[in-house]
Amino acid sequence: MKELKLLYLYPDMLELYGDYGNIQVLKYRLEKRGINLIIDKYSIGDDAPDFASYDIVFAGGGADNEQSILSKDLIKYKDSIKDAVEKGVFFLLICGAYQLFGKYYKGVEGNIIPGLEVFNYYTVAEPDRKKRCIGNIVLSVDLNKFKNRSQTNNGVNKSFENNNEENSNLEKSIKAETNKFETEVIGFENHGGQTFDIESPFGKVLYGNGNKFGDTEEGYFKQNVIATYLHGPLLAKNPKISDYIISYCLERKYNEKIEIEKLDDSFEEKCREQLLEKFLKEKM
Amino acid sequence: MYNLLVILFAKVLNFFANILCKILHKNNGNLLGKIVKKLSPDILKSIKIDCPVIAVTATNGKTTTNNAIRYMLEQNGKKVVSNSEGNNMETGIITTLIKACTLTGKIKADFVTFEVDESYVPVVFKKIPLSTLVVLDFFRDQLDRNGEVESLILKINEFLKTYDGNLVLNNDDPNVARLGRANENNKNVYYFSVDKYKYATEKEVEAGEGKFCPFDKTRLEYEYYQYSHIGKFKCPKCGYGEENLFAEIKDVDLEQRTFKENGITYKTLANNIYTVYNYAAVISVAKLYKLDAKEALKTFKLDNGRAENIEVNGCETIINLAKNPTGANVSLRTLNEDPEEKELLFVLNDKAADGHDVSWIWDINFEVKNVTRIVTAGTRAYDMAIRIKTSGFDADKIEPYLDLKEAVQALYRTKTKKYVIANYTALQPTRKEIFQLGTVLK
Repeated sequence: MKELKLLYLYPDMLELYGDYGNIQVLKYRLEKRGINLIIDKYSIGDDAPDFASYDIVFAGGGADNEQSILSKDLIKYKDSIKDAVEKGVFFLLICGAYQLFGKYYKGVEGNIIPGLEVFNYYTVAEPDRKKRCIGNIVLSVDLNKFKNRSQTNNGVNKSFENNNEENSNLEKSIKAETNKFETEVIGFENHGGQTFDIESPFGKVLYGNGNKFGDTEEGYFKQNVIATYLHGPLLAKNPKISDYIISYCLERKYNEKIEIEKLDDSFEEKCREQLLEKFLKEKM
Repeated sequence: MYNLLVILFAKVLNFFANILCKILHKNNGNLLGKIVKKLSPDILKSIKIDCPVIAVTATNGKTTTNNAIRYMLEQNGKKVVSNSEGNNMETGIITTLIKACTLTGKIKADFVTFEVDESYVPVVFKKIPLSTLVVLDFFRDQLDRNGEVESLILKINEFLKTYDGNLVLNNDDPNVARLGRANENNKNVYYFSVDKYKYATEKEVEAGEGKFCPFDKTRLEYEYYQYSHIGKFKCPKCGYGEENLFAEIKDVDLEQRTFKENGITYKTLANNIYTVYNYAAVISVAKLYKLDAKEALKTFKLDNGRAENIEVNGCETIINLAKNPTGANVSLRTLNEDPEEKELLFVLNDKAADGHDVSWIWDINFEVKNVTRIVTAGTRAYDMAIRIKTSGFDADKIEPYLDLKEAVQALYRTKTKKYVIANYTALQPTRKEIFQLGTVLK
């Protein structure tokens, strides 16, 4: 039986907006396909986790108070986290966790909370505490973005290079199904922080704010990293994103092309249809 | 003088509005308060109240507790003015007082009782005198509207620093009991508690807030959890959590619907633990004013979608409001404590008053027992269906409907016992559809 291992960071502190739902969705979609998901939790006071030994690392958003406490703890693992990202471990980072992985977070009083510096972006708090980016949000995300590149050392693409036949087949199917990977992503944003210097955004904003007030881009995206402000939780209404993560992790771990089984997503499809119509109409 | 004229004008306005509302069969809500506040923002200061003012605030349980306090006072022969319909912001309180006062702005009653929205406590009681403040609980609630719970608690804490009236606090909620230390000079702090009940757990099974000691940030230790983060806690470092109790509920029996306080057995209509907490607050208030709560609680009825128990065409139905994870969790707790087979209707709206963010449904612990079918409805019926499916409940037994009427009709296709959970704006429309189905026995 195949299995994936997930590390859940600070479950008792970063748990404000139902973000744990992302793990529940991953677990559900894996188990429906006969794949086991092992969930390990790490919080302050626990033994140091071996980040690189996991397939997925997940962290969510929390209250300001909790976030300032844990940032001091998290920074101890700066190097091993960087190493895990480079080795291709998948990181799903929501809201506060998204911010913590950048260079720094500049608070309302100008105080700097140092980040992990895994990525080059940085976040500045909106000075007016009452002003926040709050509301439903819709993005257009190209899940095909990294499929043609082989930039990770241990990622999927390298493994395909070892198998020419499979590689060319894959390229054909990529060309034929470019649109298969383009998807609208629906979520809810609630953040005061404005994030700058994003090299590679998660998606284009179709409705809502994004990284800053009235931005055209949202989040940060790398083949093995999705960092975003989207709650909802993110994966609940976006099965294609879930399956992107699942495919990536399985292919990386088992070093082979894996065609994951299609699931009955009729609730998700109806939900998306209803909400996309509502939100995109509202915009017009 | 101007304020007196405003009161007079408002009374006249209210007179005609009442006639109009009777003709149109409409409730004018807090419109009167809105108009009056526009004319005179500080009108509350001009209303003369000579009797004790009791206020209840909390995330959950305000309406039930305020109405139970009013009922208890009335059963003791007292004349009470109260915002029983739940208009709990400043304009709602203005409306209640204007309607009840004389033409010169006097309140003639033995008691005034209010439920007050958490964020309006400092606003309202800057303007009117407060004799007793009851605080029940703080849970995460509509984060996109209210912000974080902590900032709400800090606001009330700030207000309490200069308050020296009666303060009745739930000792089992670490976010509430901490308020007793806001003003070291206040000698009128009274704590109530409910002893471990049958379904209390050693571990927290539902999303909660009280993880760290508010005084030294140490992780709190719990002997048991009653529900969410409500339970017997203690800070291992500073000992926070061990206050002298003013009212201590013991021997809670939800099947018999009885409990004891200070040797007296109370028989009530409540079948769930969170209502017992509300009643602990009512008993505390009764004790403070040397009144009897026993007789009142025997006949106090929960209705209007607050653990409301009805029979629809012979089918037993329990309707409960749930506008945040804890509200939903305690409703499902009651459902799970009921051994009978049942079906559930969950109505989820995302209108402005509900909060547009429905992420909170993922904080609901959806492990249900003996539930054979779940119908979902509301503007977010599909979000709810996805949530329930992901919890492991068989997707084939989930029926989502965007149309509420269809949903209610589908629910009553069978005769199985029903549980209905609806969030804020969904509650009354859902009740209306159910009541229109046929014969309803209360």
